[in-house]
Amino acid sequence: MSLEQELSEAMRGHVAGVRASSLMGTAIRRRHRARRLRFRVAGAALATAAVAGAVPAYLALNAGPPPAAGGPAAPAGGEARAGVVEQVKVPDVGKKSVAEARAALAGVGLTVTVGNGAPGGSSPLPEPDDDDLVVEQIPAAGQAVPKGSAVELFAVARPAATSSPEAGPEKVSMPQDLGDLGDGREFGGVEFTYLPGGLVWGEWSVKNGFGVASYSTSWKKPDLPAGHYSVQAVVYRGDAAVAVTERMKGYRGQGAEPIKVGGRTAYLVNAGEAVGTIEESGTPTLVWAVGKGLAVEVMMSPDYAGELGGEAPAELRKIAEGVVPAK
Amino acid sequence: MTEEDEAAFDEFLAARSTALLRTATLVCGASPHDAEDLVQGALEKVYRHWSRIRHDNPESYARRIVVNAAISLSRRRKVIREITFARLPETPVDGPDMELRDALLVELRRLPARMRAVLVLRYWEDLSETETAALMGCSAGTVKSQAARGLARIRERMGTLEGALG
Repeated sequence: MSLEQELSEAMRGHVAGVRASSLMGTAIRRRHRARRLRFRVAGAALATAAVAGAVPAYLALNAGPPPAAGGPAAPAGGEARAGVVEQVKVPDVGKKSVAEARAALAGVGLTVTVGNGAPGGSSPLPEPDDDDLVVEQIPAAGQAVPKGSAVELFAVARPAATSSPEAGPEKVSMPQDLGDLGDGREFGGVEFTYLPGGLVWGEWSVKNGFGVASYSTSWKKPDLPAGHYSVQAVVYRGDAAVAVTERMKGYRGQGAEPIKVGGRTAYLVNAGEAVGTIEESGTPTLVWAVGKGLAVEVMMSPDYAGELGGEAPAELRKIAEGVVPAK
Repeated sequence: MTEEDEAAFDEFLAARSTALLRTATLVCGASPHDAEDLVQGALEKVYRHWSRIRHDNPESYARRIVVNAAISLSRRRKVIREITFARLPETPVDGPDMELRDALLVELRRLPARMRAVLVLRYWEDLSETETAALMGCSAGTVKSQAARGLARIRERMGTLEGALG
């Protein structure tokens, strides 16, 4: 049998037992109702008397400082210019919380009210949580629209809040080989004395997942869902540490410049998805042999590195410099 | 959404949701539970635009959303995924074929997400190079080279296991 056929058979066998639940439709519709909301951004032209009456209170609650362009005019000032169709640029509210999106939309001088479902729909939509995340907006950011156009937003509950009550699937599936590590800084015979501020232990650990012997855990920003990481570290000993030195040679072969960590040769690379490769968009990784039979690797999630921006390499180095033998 | 739209969506789910769930499971390498969550999220998007897309090949639209979501989940969880799968599941061994297939799946999971997606779409979904390319938003040439490189990588790593692969 050819490899293609073997692979095809292997995949078939692997998922043969996987079946979509018959409740999928119900689950999708529930999700849809819970996550979908519409804000109507109603300008003077559209505002009914009732809406206009409700607006100032809303703005008082949610609006930031009035935008320079709009000047200090009161929100209701739109009514005075009802005959003029002023163009405004739709602000980018993607990835903002609903509260922030509300403020941003209000900030371009438009009045905001929470509307109802799809045209013709009759059931009222649930109020979104202020904390929900805006994932889509229509029209798109940057488009010029007349004041009074409707901006439609889709928001989702943040991952941590969406896990169904009957499950904590990700949490359950995380390995706990090293038990409760407390703050997670001490494992595999070393201690991580420095971590970027605000990270907490990822509440999982694995032994020998990266060769024998190896120990690994991660730290994350508290708002990340279980299973995601901000910084992960692996401590390699014995044969696993030897394999790491080979990997480092490979990095050198791919043109990576060695640096020094605590006087030892280290490599700071963007590790690709395949082990041992370097990719521009890979995971920022600092790896070094601490001593004979001991190597350490510190990885930073690309998301987190993006948040740190130019500081990411320096933070990785600081973490590495802070690694000391455990007491 | 009209009642007819709703009924058509249910029909679509009955026909396609299991296949989409299987594709997601293979592409993201997650547990069936996580994959189901991912597929529900993706299909909510389909449902959202259903009345617009239902007459315009909703299947390929849904597959594209599912595959993209699976790739991005797989990337986000990359490091931890490698560990979790470094430990082989304790599957009963029904002869050498089972062992070989498990090993193949492990190698498949070790590939970069997009490369894995190409192999899943080509050899599990049986899509053509052109269809795969359209779905993944790349050229047919890229699909061809990604598939070849993926297979070569697997073959290379499996080389020591048996000489059984052509």
